[in-house]
Amino acid sequence: MNEQSTITRITKNGYFKYFSKKIMWLGITLIAAVILNFFLPRLMPGDPIAGIVSRVAQGVYDQAALQDMYERYERAFGLDRPVLEQFFIYIGNLLRGDLGLSFSRYPRPVADIISSALPWTLALQFPAIIVGWTIGNVLGALAAYIRRAFDKTLMPLMLFVGGVPAFGMAVILLSIFAINLGWFPVAGGYAFDMIPHASWAFFMSAIDHWWLPFLSIVLIAIGGQALGMRSMSIYELNADYVKYSRYMGIKDRKIVRYVFRNAMLPQVTGLALQIGTMIGGAIVAEIIFSYPGLGTTIMLAIRTGDYPLISGATLIITIMVLLVVFILDIIYGLIDPRVKASQFE
Amino acid sequence: MGNIMLEVNGLTTKYVTRFKENVYAVSDVSFTLEEGRSVGIAGESGCGKSTLALSLMGYYFAPLHYIKGDIIIDGKNISGMKPDDVRKNVLGTEIAYIPQAAMNALNPTRKVIKFIEDVIRAHDPKATKKDIFDLARQRFEVLNLPVETLYKYSVELSGGMKQRTVIAVSTILSPKVLIADEPSSALDVTSQKMVIKMIRDLMDLGLIKSMIFITHELPLLYNVTDDIMVMYAAQLVESGTADQMIFDPLHPYSKGLMGSILVPEDGTRDVKLVAIPGTPPNLKKPPEGCRFAERCVYATPKCKVSGVAYHDFDNNRKCRCHMSENELREAYANEQ
Amino acid sequence: MKNHIRQVLRSGKFMTGFIIIMLILLLVAVYPLLNPGNPLEMIGYNSFVKPGVYFSLYDSLDMESRHVYRFRLEGADELRIYNKFGTEDRIAVKEWLVRYGEREGVPGLTEEEIDVDDRYQLLDLWWEHYDPTLRLGMTIAASRVYQRLDARVAGIFNLEDYNVYTIWNEELEEYEVHQTTVVNDDYVNVNDIANRIWLPLGTENFGRDVMKQLVHAIRTSLMIGLVAGTIATAIGLLLGLVAGYVGGIVDDIIMFFTNLFTVIPGIVLLILISYSIGQEQRGAMTVAVVIGLTSWIWTARSVRSQVMSLRSRDHVNLSKLSGHSMPRIVVRDILPYVASYVVMAFVLQVSSGILAEAGLSMLGLGPKTTDVPTLGLMMNWAMRYTAHLMGAWWAYYPVVGVIALISFSLNLMNTGLDQVFNPQLREG
Repeated sequence: MNEQSTITRITKNGYFKYFSKKIMWLGITLIAAVILNFFLPRLMPGDPIAGIVSRVAQGVYDQAALQDMYERYERAFGLDRPVLEQFFIYIGNLLRGDLGLSFSRYPRPVADIISSALPWTLALQFPAIIVGWTIGNVLGALAAYIRRAFDKTLMPLMLFVGGVPAFGMAVILLSIFAINLGWFPVAGGYAFDMIPHASWAFFMSAIDHWWLPFLSIVLIAIGGQALGMRSMSIYELNADYVKYSRYMGIKDRKIVRYVFRNAMLPQVTGLALQIGTMIGGAIVAEIIFSYPGLGTTIMLAIRTGDYPLISGATLIITIMVLLVVFILDIIYGLIDPRVKASQFE
Repeated sequence: MGNIMLEVNGLTTKYVTRFKENVYAVSDVSFTLEEGRSVGIAGESGCGKSTLALSLMGYYFAPLHYIKGDIIIDGKNISGMKPDDVRKNVLGTEIAYIPQAAMNALNPTRKVIKFIEDVIRAHDPKATKKDIFDLARQRFEVLNLPVETLYKYSVELSGGMKQRTVIAVSTILSPKVLIADEPSSALDVTSQKMVIKMIRDLMDLGLIKSMIFITHELPLLYNVTDDIMVMYAAQLVESGTADQMIFDPLHPYSKGLMGSILVPEDGTRDVKLVAIPGTPPNLKKPPEGCRFAERCVYATPKCKVSGVAYHDFDNNRKCRCHMSENELREAYANEQ
Repeated sequence: MKNHIRQVLRSGKFMTGFIIIMLILLLVAVYPLLNPGNPLEMIGYNSFVKPGVYFSLYDSLDMESRHVYRFRLEGADELRIYNKFGTEDRIAVKEWLVRYGEREGVPGLTEEEIDVDDRYQLLDLWWEHYDPTLRLGMTIAASRVYQRLDARVAGIFNLEDYNVYTIWNEELEEYEVHQTTVVNDDYVNVNDIANRIWLPLGTENFGRDVMKQLVHAIRTSLMIGLVAGTIATAIGLLLGLVAGYVGGIVDDIIMFFTNLFTVIPGIVLLILISYSIGQEQRGAMTVAVVIGLTSWIWTARSVRSQVMSLRSRDHVNLSKLSGHSMPRIVVRDILPYVASYVVMAFVLQVSSGILAEAGLSMLGLGPKTTDVPTLGLMMNWAMRYTAHLMGAWWAYYPVVGVIALISFSLNLMNTGLDQVFNPQLREG
């Protein structure tokens, strides 16, 4: 078994190389995300403080008061200091989990607002994306394999569903199932007369409110994934190894298993590449349901000109996406041998 | 004279295209192959040689359809068998196939040994892991392939190694007939040599009993196979030993094809057309008369209207031409 | 190439998508001609007026300027009952019957026996049971409510003539009372009424014509999509060509940024940039440019990988050996091969640009609201003013429908193209 141990060693090296590459990349993207989050608004034309002041101080015409407000915000942002110094202060605060204070809900810290919104977004989006991904892949694979009428009806439907923006799907579901049929509550993440706390009644209310947003994200995800999986499966079904396996006498059922496995694996990376867009769309869908997650938080922050909150929330979304992409990459590396081989090219 | 391993009688098959058109890519093909012998099939691309290779397997799925004819392997007629019977009892064990594009013939996410396991279990569901492993290991050793290859994924192998692995996997069940469809055309010269050597080893060791080798490179056939058949427009037009066919081709098409041997590589069609003017007939609607008549310099009006049978010439040769052997030789002599 | 174009035109998917887009464009081009005017003009005093034809009640009463025709139409009363006996009144009738229906000599009624949707049954029961003189322990106010209800029920069948309207007399500067007799089988031709307005999709929260707005919004959103798509495709193509053809350190640098922006969600960049630009500076075109600048990544990646594989093809090598200049090689030997892909990418970019604008507007970062309507802004207004809770489906369903239709037809075109250029995906 000497040969086998050589192989194992190569294999391990391949994985090690792959993982260390991915970890390094995670680090780089995190740093880049922070830098972007800090510098982007400062690079933009226009004076952010003036923008904030004009938004916050609507109706205030006293010049002195405006000037005072301007200077206060400038100090609050630390904008009166050199940019580089600002950046280090920002990094230092970030490392302590300090994202500044919210303008609109002063003096609540941004980190506090985000940490109460984040669980809602996580609990809504991740199950929805995973379920949508799974169902979409199964449907896509079936469409590719069965073809005929199933494919002919499913394809345009999926194309249509996949093309509807998440918020559009949200509005459609909301008006049909919540407003007209009254099966689900219309808005919010839990009954409006409740305060979030750990109790059975609260949990049930939250589940009640969770279904519709969940379904709207699931449907969109199914549409997109089914199309991708269908093309991928057709591509694989036409691959040379399928023909060869057939002529070697292997049963069709087994070959179909090869094909779906091979088509499914790239869908994992596909998900990693799409997750940013998917989460982006789903966050907008939250607004339709006034769901108490990050999407609604961002929208309210934009409406009230709450810059620290916008910046904090977008940073958290970025970090969330980066982590998911990283995890998916790692999973993919473990399950697809093609990855390992590519490290030696 | 050994036992007859493969006998093909009047095999006719068709392709159905995306637009539901029938392409009769194999038409009335008959030949026999004896134990211990190998035959090469040569012809321009598109003449139906690859389709013939697949048709000989006796296992048809879209877009390839069986029309008529018999395939008799070692005395057993497989053309009337149920598809699942063919799959289980013929493919791999009686007749095996090495595909043209062996680069992608192996499932990229399955280790070689696992695939061998699938192949063997498809024919013998009770085979144990150990038996399978022993067989595979022994076979790889005999064929001078590193045993560690068994534990690799195809993506980890080089082109030449992939091709040799595919050959070893195809013949793992020691089939009576091996069909190799241009197994070396995509490889570099060294790998080509190794592949050819491996195939000859398989014959010499008796692991396969007979072989059909398909290629467009005629010189290669001279080195590899005992006999050569020339295919034109879905039909066999001439057959004979390698010596006869290379140095003394009789059918005007074979003559032209041998004349174009010096063409450096496939795909440079312009050069070939200089050697044989004109293009092959449309196989969706094959002509009534001799299929080569349109391009043949010796053709008479008769050639264009009446078809001609694939009949015997002297010295065990067969030819599909209205002219007799002597008439042909005379015609060629006059030309020079 | 010619062959490909013929195949594209024969592709059912492509043509379906193409025809839908063309129809939408036709609507955008023709509707403003038929119905000119500022789409943002607030024509209504009320918000969320439902779709339909509206005509001036005042003008319809003006008997002198127009003919009155009399029709004896069967079922006219039925329709009147249907329209005039409203849900609230019917519920009130039922309530009274259940609560006060049972008296001496009169049997009571249960909830189940009365169907609020059966207008005739309700009327019969009402006339059978209701006695305005009965107090039945109600307060005076409550019994007044039912008396008024009775009057309304009776009013459904009121055969008396209506007869009063007023006209502002400019000379006397006062209202003149005119007497007209209008009986219940009088009819006027709608075309004779001086002031009419057709609102195919009603009005929205600000009292603006939804249809007119929608047509303008489609135009603006398509423009945004086209501009964003053009910018994204141009940047992606350029970077992909340079990275793929030049290779080396240039490739490394471009790929570093491409990979970076692949994982950093586009919406985050869009939010940060759009917010920083500020509400006042954010016109529709600015938004389009921002979207274009943040969505070139996919095109760049794919073009690069295609160029890399093309770079070592024979015909390119031949061109290099012939001493052709790099721009010439790129334009003549590489571009034609990536062209089909670039067209497909462009089609998708247009569609995703439209969706991105909609998403941004939903978040409140769309183009400034005083300029032009966009699909996203219409959606945002509808949601902000809770059209969905008011039952004003016309304010948001058409918008969602149009967005979905545009994106569907563009995706369909893309799929059609894909099947032509990647034959493996064809059905068969």
